[in-house]
Amino acid sequence: EAPGSQECPVGQQSQESREQRARAALRERYLRSLLAMVGRQVRFTLHEGVHVTAHFGATDLDVANFYVSQLQTPIGIQAEALLRCSDIISYTFEP
Amino acid sequence: MSEWTKKSPLELEDYVYKEVRVIASEKKEYRGWLLTTDPVSANIVLVNFLEDGSLSVTGIMGHAVQTVEIVGEGDHRVREKLTPLFMSGDCAAYSP
Repeated sequence: EAPGSQECPVGQQSQESREQRARAALRERYLRSLLAMVGRQVRFTLHEGVHVTAHFGATDLDVANFYVSQLQTPIGIQAEALLRCSDIISYTFEP
Repeated sequence: MSEWTKKSPLELEDYVYKEVRVIASEKKEYRGWLLTTDPVSANIVLVNFLEDGSLSVTGIMGHAVQTVEIVGEGDHRVREKLTPLFMSGDCAAYSP
């Protein structure tokens, strides 16, 4: 914590560092939630009311794709697959 | 793209540990305790405590989020349960 000062430049700097700290904390929590999902059965809700389940494997750093295995689709099981995150509305798992 | 994806990390942090109702694409509605929001993708992570003592975790993709409304403030007990979640790598420790 920066010592209390009413001067503007210090105020701006501390706002920036508070923002950076918040960003880091939120991101770390999110990455850890993904880590907890690895190997779990995850249920995905896609657009048009489509639901699929799969074992979560990994994602890329901008969370654009989910790599999954044993993807159960309405037309069969796909051993390995990439789900585009833009096709996903939500996902649920039990840690 | 909704307002949600434009929020700053400090604004996103205000929702952490709050009970929220999220409206997403295709009239999907989600409710739960907000654990975090990824500042990169704006993906939201909600936690629900199930009756058998286990947890259910739901991620809602930032691009699909339409509105996020705070419906409850977390009390001390909820906060104690949520704070260590996923932080030690040992999720089993958090089951009662």
